[in-house]
Amino acid sequence: MASVGPCGTGTGTTGSVAAAASKNNVTSFQRRGPRASSSDSGGSRLVSIAGTRPSVRNGQLLVSTGLPALDQLLGGGLAVGTVLLIEEDKYNIYSPLLFKYFLAEGIINGHTLLVASAKEEPEKILQAGPVSSSRFGHYYDVSKKMPQELIEASKWHGFFLPKKISSTLNIEPCSLTHGYIKLLQFIQKIIYEEGFDGSNPQKKQKNILRIGIQNLGSPLWGDDVCCTENCDNSHNLTKFLYILRGLLRTSLSACIITMPTHLIQNKAIIARITNLSDTVVHLESFIGSEREANPLYKDYHGLIHIRQIPRLNNLICDVSDVKDLAFKLKRKLFTIEVGCGVGHCLRNWLLSHLPSADGTKHILDSWGHREQKGPGWHTAAPEYQ
Amino acid sequence: MLESVLASGGLVLLRDSVEWEGRSLLKALIKKSVLCGEQVHILGCEVSEEEFRDGFDVSINSQLVYHDLFRDPLNWSKTGEALPEGALGALRAMYRRTDPGPVIIALDSLSWLLLHLPCTTLCQTLHTLSQQDTCSGDSSPVKRVCVLGLLHEELHGPGPMGALSSLAQTEVTLSGTASQTSAHILYRRPRQRPTHKIQWFSILPDFSVDLQGGPPLESQPHPDPDTPLVDPTTHLTFNLRLSKKEKEAKDSLTLPFQFSSEKQQALLCPGSGQATSHIFYEPDAYDDPDQEDPDDDLDI
Repeated sequence: MASVGPCGTGTGTTGSVAAAASKNNVTSFQRRGPRASSSDSGGSRLVSIAGTRPSVRNGQLLVSTGLPALDQLLGGGLAVGTVLLIEEDKYNIYSPLLFKYFLAEGIINGHTLLVASAKEEPEKILQAGPVSSSRFGHYYDVSKKMPQELIEASKWHGFFLPKKISSTLNIEPCSLTHGYIKLLQFIQKIIYEEGFDGSNPQKKQKNILRIGIQNLGSPLWGDDVCCTENCDNSHNLTKFLYILRGLLRTSLSACIITMPTHLIQNKAIIARITNLSDTVVHLESFIGSEREANPLYKDYHGLIHIRQIPRLNNLICDVSDVKDLAFKLKRKLFTIEVGCGVGHCLRNWLLSHLPSADGTKHILDSWGHREQKGPGWHTAAPEYQ
Repeated sequence: MLESVLASGGLVLLRDSVEWEGRSLLKALIKKSVLCGEQVHILGCEVSEEEFRDGFDVSINSQLVYHDLFRDPLNWSKTGEALPEGALGALRAMYRRTDPGPVIIALDSLSWLLLHLPCTTLCQTLHTLSQQDTCSGDSSPVKRVCVLGLLHEELHGPGPMGALSSLAQTEVTLSGTASQTSAHILYRRPRQRPTHKIQWFSILPDFSVDLQGGPPLESQPHPDPDTPLVDPTTHLTFNLRLSKKEKEAKDSLTLPFQFSSEKQQALLCPGSGQATSHIFYEPDAYDDPDQEDPDDDLDI
């Protein structure tokens, strides 16, 4: 695992702590952080890679997912070397947005991208991505498209399955689906050739590889996990995830996968897939469901469920306190908001309808907030940083 | 509009069932496309060619390109007539044709193909067929391809149906009441919310579509009374409002530590027959009414 933190500076600090203490005469504690200062004694050097930051809790190297709200819910960001699995909503409208946010964040930070899809050309996926409306803070504007020169300036590799596989009429049986084998070989080749696993020592500047795989598990990849309930090769997807995670753990990369789990008939496979991924987020949209008519949910487009957060080098994981999260796609922004359970709504209804002690009535918005934080973004998630 | 389902291109699923058959609607849509001047290819698997062409005019019949898989699906007769490579080869041959202009490929039926080919292969082939919009090179014009497949809902489980639905751009599901047929059309556009509408229609003997309004009003379903509007004030364990009498009683109540002059007097002079409180005591069996020290019995 790429872990940056006290392990890196531990070799050098013992001698320098005493020196620092005698210098300052104030404290022998040393601040953790990316400033290496003079404490390096030739041991492993703290490198700061663009677009990453170490987690305050355990020094894990984190990258941003592109959505500050999602970063906060996942405990600061996505850890390098892990997989973020997005369980798609039924009509696949909102999960491509999270996918594109992730890739756009990579373009802005200058990371290398690897986009794999069996449905759309990777070039088209990148071109439709959101563009950053402000340099600081990464607020992306969904209504605008990514300018072509930004895409050309960034380094990206595309994997489009129909082009990589020549159409052969005979389907040879093997342990893993043909498409998956090709994809794994492609990822391994890129990691090795570009030195993300440290195999190329001439590379001075370390960089992160952001991998995006769209619609994994759908029949277009050649996998029949969505078509049949008890399929013969039911281990295709789980083997793929296992091998992929092995590739990721030994390299400086982060991966986002979107998967249409609503099509998978065998529920045991979904449980296995959840265990084999690190972070799992499920998007449930209200379109076509009975919740659409529910007045509690009328302002929102769906619910987000954080199914799993990994325990990396830890015994516990920082699971968020808030369990009911809803998302809304505005014209320019994808927002995640807190508290749409019945209890919250009742509390806010009461607060807005009962007079307070001094006789005045407070006018609150639907979530009980009196002031707004950002451009149309309210959150009550506790600060983890 | 029922006629415009083929306009957007892509994969169009026509889902029928035993009660509401879809082949007549399929033939009606084919007839309309031919009359609009589009090229129509038909892959016939379930019924014979004569039966399929029955009911069409000579002019329409001459413009249909019919690929017959019904007569000899496995190519046993080995004459030149049958399709040599089977269903998959026929589909792939359609993908490789090079004539320009919009094309409708009608599959009669997609259920037959789904039962004879692996689902993943079929999905991949349909996807490549229906995504032929942008060709390599700028010289060839944009070919709009529409793949229209007849799917019998009852023959397949939820898995293959779900997989095909996720690939389809438009889904037309046939149902209806005793007298009329309805088509429930669901448009799934790539990055937008899906829209749906219901169209009542009937097919005339010459395979033209007669659009109708809905059935008489009393047969339409009422909104479901079982789903209540959520009112957070129901089933509360506390009072939200006070009635007038309760409000008066609340206002007139004196708080325990608020001293008024009467209360002060009453506390200072407790006598004069004012029985403020009584203590009623029932002695228990174990109670000793003797006020002496109980430890006196002990010989220490």
